[in-house]
Amino acid sequence: MSQRIEDHPVLGAINEKEYVAFTFNDKEYKGLKNESLAAALLANGIRTLRYHEESGTPRGIYCNIGHCFECRVTVNGKPGVRACLTPLKEGMVVESGGKLPTPVRDWRAVHE
Amino acid sequence: MTEKDVVICRCEEVTYKELIETASKYNCSARELKLRTRASMGYCGGRTCRSLVDKIAAEIESGQRNQISLKYQPPVRPVHFGDLGRVEE
Repeated sequence: MSQRIEDHPVLGAINEKEYVAFTFNDKEYKGLKNESLAAALLANGIRTLRYHEESGTPRGIYCNIGHCFECRVTVNGKPGVRACLTPLKEGMVVESGGKLPTPVRDWRAVHE
Repeated sequence: MTEKDVVICRCEEVTYKELIETASKYNCSARELKLRTRASMGYCGGRTCRSLVDKIAAEIESGQRNQISLKYQPPVRPVHFGDLGRVEE
């Protein structure tokens, strides 16, 4: 079930309902054209947009106005794109981020 | 999850507990608190938690009102290096 607000009391009803396809982590989804990527993913039930680079804990929408960078994803190969500010286009390839290796810290844990 | 486990700085994953413990242990300024815990030093550039880190440091530092708040550093808005240097492809 989609929880998208289609008739907002202040903003009014959505007139254009053109659904476009995009992929998130190699899975195909559909969302409304030009809605924010974060909204499209949320409407598809996806709340975890990435995992913290160091600890690996899940991250999703936080401020949703573009200043916290918690929703950053890789769009068409470009990293660090804010999902909350990016309008959805046909055929977008979106990938989330994950935990990064910490070789220096791992090495130190054993050798110090 | 208790109140103390709330993550204040989400970029560097610093909890409220870590911040108040560090601030009371070292009785330090906002800048020192930031450098010790890495709160406000992450990807977003402290735009989300700067005022919270300021407030924690100001409240804990033995009641003297001589705290200097954390500074704002350019670029105040995040820009891609590519947009700054403009490499034509």
